[in-house]
Amino acid sequence: MDFLAYFGDVFTPINFGLLLIGTIGGLLLGATPGLSPTMAVALLIPFTFKLEPAQGLILLGAAYTSTVAGGAVSAILLKIPGAPANIATTLDGHTMAKKGQGARALQLSFLASAVGGVFGVLLLIFLTPVLAQWALAFGPSHLFWLAILGVTVIGTLDSSSVVKGLLSGCIGLWLATVGFDDIMGAQRFIFHDAVSGGINVIPALIGLFAIPQVIGMFAKGRRSLDAEILTVERHPISMAFGEVFSRLRALSIGTITGSVIGLIPGVGGQIAGLVAYDQSKKMSPERDKFGTGHSEGVIAAESANNAMVGPSLVPLLTLSIPGSPTAAVLLGGLLIHGIFPGSDLFDNHPDVAWTFINSMLIGQILMCIFGLYIAGLAARVAQVPNAVMAAVVLGLAVFGSYSVQHSMGDVYVMATLGTGMYFLERFGFSAAPLVLGLILGPIAEANFVQGSMIANATSSIGSYFFTGPLNLVLIAIVVASVGYSVWQELRHRRLSAQEKVMAKKDAIT
Amino acid sequence: MTDLPRTQHIVASGLVAAVGVSVAYVSFTREPAAAFLFPRIISTVFVVLALLTFGKALLGKTRVGTGLDREAMINIAPGLAVSLIFVFWAAHALGFYTASTIAFFVLLSLYDPAPHGELKSWIKRILITAGFLVVMYGLFARLLSVFTPREIFF
Amino acid sequence: MKNLIASAAIALTALAGGALADENYPERPIMLMVSYGAGGATDFQARIVTMTAGNEDALGMPIAIINKPGAGGRVGWNWFAGQAESDGYTLGAYNVPHFIAQSIEGGVSYAADSFEPIANWGADPAVFVVAADSEFNSMNDVVDYAAANPGKLTFSGAGLFVGHHIAALQLEKAAGVKLAYIPNDKGGAGAMKAVIAGEVLGGVNNLSDAFRAREAGNVKILGVFDLERNDFLPDVPTLKEQGFDIDNSSVNFRGVMVPKGTPQPIIDKLAAVVPTMFANGRVASKMKAGGSPMHIMTRDEVIEMWKAREVALKELLAGL
Repeated sequence: MDFLAYFGDVFTPINFGLLLIGTIGGLLLGATPGLSPTMAVALLIPFTFKLEPAQGLILLGAAYTSTVAGGAVSAILLKIPGAPANIATTLDGHTMAKKGQGARALQLSFLASAVGGVFGVLLLIFLTPVLAQWALAFGPSHLFWLAILGVTVIGTLDSSSVVKGLLSGCIGLWLATVGFDDIMGAQRFIFHDAVSGGINVIPALIGLFAIPQVIGMFAKGRRSLDAEILTVERHPISMAFGEVFSRLRALSIGTITGSVIGLIPGVGGQIAGLVAYDQSKKMSPERDKFGTGHSEGVIAAESANNAMVGPSLVPLLTLSIPGSPTAAVLLGGLLIHGIFPGSDLFDNHPDVAWTFINSMLIGQILMCIFGLYIAGLAARVAQVPNAVMAAVVLGLAVFGSYSVQHSMGDVYVMATLGTGMYFLERFGFSAAPLVLGLILGPIAEANFVQGSMIANATSSIGSYFFTGPLNLVLIAIVVASVGYSVWQELRHRRLSAQEKVMAKKDAIT
Repeated sequence: MTDLPRTQHIVASGLVAAVGVSVAYVSFTREPAAAFLFPRIISTVFVVLALLTFGKALLGKTRVGTGLDREAMINIAPGLAVSLIFVFWAAHALGFYTASTIAFFVLLSLYDPAPHGELKSWIKRILITAGFLVVMYGLFARLLSVFTPREIFF
Repeated sequence: MKNLIASAAIALTALAGGALADENYPERPIMLMVSYGAGGATDFQARIVTMTAGNEDALGMPIAIINKPGAGGRVGWNWFAGQAESDGYTLGAYNVPHFIAQSIEGGVSYAADSFEPIANWGADPAVFVVAADSEFNSMNDVVDYAAANPGKLTFSGAGLFVGHHIAALQLEKAAGVKLAYIPNDKGGAGAMKAVIAGEVLGGVNNLSDAFRAREAGNVKILGVFDLERNDFLPDVPTLKEQGFDIDNSSVNFRGVMVPKGTPQPIIDKLAAVVPTMFANGRVASKMKAGGSPMHIMTRDEVIEMWKAREVALKELLAGL
C-alpha cells in the first residue's frame, strides 16, 4: 500500500497547482488538431528542467492523461480526431454532435475516460510486476498477429460496403510503405520530395478527417444564417452518469481491451480505441445502431483510450523500456533528473514514483470534472457558422500538420490526402479504415521482417509464427473475428434479400 | 438513377484501380525484392479489390456513395481553389501568418451569408479574421515555439 | 519627393541590415534537427546540451529541438542535406558513424561533405549485452557459441548501417564467425527490449542505455567496442582486452552541424561558442545523471574525426 503513504504529496499547493495546469493545459492542447499526446508531453519537457523531479513528472503525467481525453473534444465536435487514439470516437461521437447532442457525447466521453483511466492506473499500482512479464511476452510473431487482428477490423469498421472498406484499408497499407523502409533503409514509392520522409500518421490523420469536413462545408454554399442554426440540447450531467453506468458491457469491454492493448509495447494506444469499438459492436445486441450516434460506441472507444494510459507505462517504470513514443519522452523527463526507471525508481525514489502515479489517478478525476464543466460550453462550437468553421479548421489543419515536424512536405501530404479523401468519400470509401491501414502497416511489416529473420536463423518461419500458446490464441481470435464478420455479412444479405421479396409481394398486392 | 452518378462512379473507381495497378507494377519491378515483399502482397490484394469495385461500377451495381451533384461542385470550386493556392503556394511563399490572413478573409467573404453590400458585415469579417490570427500566433508561435517559414513582411 | 528619400533611406538600411545580419547572429531562436524520435538517446542528449543556449554567455537565443525520425536517421539527414535552409538558424545533430556509413552504402542524397561540423558533445560506445539470466558470461562464450552454431546466434541492434551494425560487422570479421544480426525498427530501445524479453540471444546497444538496463537488473554487459574501458563501466573489459582486434569505429559520436553553404562568419561564431556551451557545468551534471558519456570536440577536431572515420568505414564496408 505504498501509494497511500504518498497521497498527501499530491496535494501540496505547488504540486496540486502543477496538476491543475497540466490537466487543463493538456485538455486544450489535446483538443487542438495536430497535437498528439507525445508532442504535447515533448513540448512540456523544457519546463520540467527547472522543477523538482516529482513536480516535473506530475506535470507530464497530468498532461499525458488529459491530452488523450482532450483528443475526444475535436473528434466529437469537428470529426477531427486529436490523435490516432480518438478515431473510433468520431464514428458515433460526431454523429451525436450533428444531431445536437454534442454536450451528451462529450459528457459520456469524459466519464468513460475517467472510468477507464482510473482502472488503468489502479492496474499500474497493484499489478505492475505481473503485467511487466506479460508485456514482455509479446515478441515479433505475436505483434504481427495482433496487427493482423487489427486489419480484420478494417472491413467492417465504417463503411456500408465491405469491399470498399477493405480497399480503403489497402490504400492505407500502401501509403504506409511510402518512404524509407524502416529496417532495410531502401527507398520505396518516393515519387515526390514531400513524401521522401514517408507519410507521417498525424498530418495524414488531420488531412483525411479535417479537409473533407472543410470541403463539405464549402459544398453547402452561401446559405442564409437561420437555415443552419443547430439547436444544442442541454444535457444534465446526472443523466450522463446514469447512461455510462447502464452501458456496463461497452464500458467493461472498452476498459479491459484498452488495458490489455495498452500494455503491449510497440502497439500502444493507437489501436486500442478501434479494437474496443469493434469488439463492443460485435457483442452488442444493438449493433445496428453503431455509427448512428449510439452511446455505446463513444463509451467503448473513450474508456479504452484512457485505460491504456496506466498500463502503457508499466514496461517503462519496471523494466526501463519505453513501450510507446510518449513513454519514451517521459523517460527523458526522468533521466534529466538522474532517476533511472526500474528498481532504482521504486527503491531509491519512492516519493517520485508514487507521487507521479497518484497524480495520474487524481489527474483522471480532475480531467473528468473539468471536462464535464466545459462540455456544455464546448458543444456550442456546433453553432459556429459554416463559413467561419471551414476557415478555422483549414487554418488549424495547416498549422497543426506543419508543427509536427516543421515540414512543408507534411502540409502538402495533408492537403493532397484530404482533398482526395473528400471525393473518395462521395463514392463510398471512408477515412477510418484508411488510417487504420496506415497505422497497422508498419507494425505488421516490421514484425514480420524481424520475426522471419529470427526464424531463419533459429528454426523455421512456420514454427516461429504458428506455434506457441500466445500465437495460437491470437490466430484463433483473428479467425473468429473474420468468421464472425463473414457470418454477419451473409446473414445481412439474406435478410435484405428477404425484405426485397416482401416488398415485391407488398407491391403486387 | 441518372447517368451522372454512374459515370462518376466509373471514373472514381477507375482512378483507384489505376493507382492500384501502378503500385503493383512498381512493387513487382523494383529491387531489392526483400524490401518490396510487403508492397507486393498489399498491392496484389489492392488490385483485386479495385478491379472488383471498378467492375461493379461499370455494371452500374454500385450501391453506396451518392456522388456529387452539379450544385455542390459549383459551391466547392472557389473555396477549393483558394484553399489549394493557400496550401501549395501562399503558405510557403508569403509566410504562414500572411497567407492565413488572406485565405481566411477570402473564404469568409466567399461563404459567409451576411450581405456583401453592408459595411457592418465587412467589419465583422475583419474582426473574426484578426481574432483567429491572434489565437494562432499565440498558440503556435508563442506557446509552442513553432518556426513557420519566414514571412515576406517580417 | 520626401517620400522617395524616406523609402530610399529605408532600402539602404535594409541593405546594410543584410550585411550586418551575420554579425548580429543569432537574432531569433534557432532550431536543431534530430533525426531520431523524441525520447531516444540522441534526442535526450541534444535537449540537455542545448538547454543553456539562451544564456548571454552562450548564443543568447534558445535552441528548439525538431525531430525528423525514420529509417535509422536517413529521413532526417536527407531533409537536412536537401531541404534545410543554410542561414545558420537550422542546425542538425549528427551521429557518426551512422550517416557516413549510410552515405558509403548509398541510396541517400548526402555525403560527409554535405555538412559542416560545428562541435561534438558526446561519444557513446556500443556494448554487447545479454539478458541477466543468459548463460553467456564473456565475449568468448558468445563467439564459441557462434562458432559451434554458425548463423544461429541472433542479436539485436538499432538498424542497418548505424553504429550497432558497424560493431556487429567488426565482431564478425575479428572473430571469424557468422552471426544473425536482427535490426530493429524502434531504435536502441526496441533492440534492448528484444534482449530483455529473450527474443534474441544478445544485442549490441548504446552504452548509456545498457548502463541503465544493468542498473535495473535486466542485462549483463559483456564488452565495450572502444579502445579503452569507459568511466561508467570500469568493470567491463573492451573487446580488444578479450582478444578481438576491434577499434573505436563504431563509437557513436554525437554533435552539431550545419548544412553546406551556411555563411562562414556564422560557422566561425558557432564553432567558437558551441563547445563552451557544451562545457557548461549544469550540462555536465545532467548528462552524468542521465548516464550519458560526454566528449567535447572542436570543429577542427571533428573535421579530422569525420575524415578518419570515412576511410576506416570504406575499408570495413568494402569487404561486404
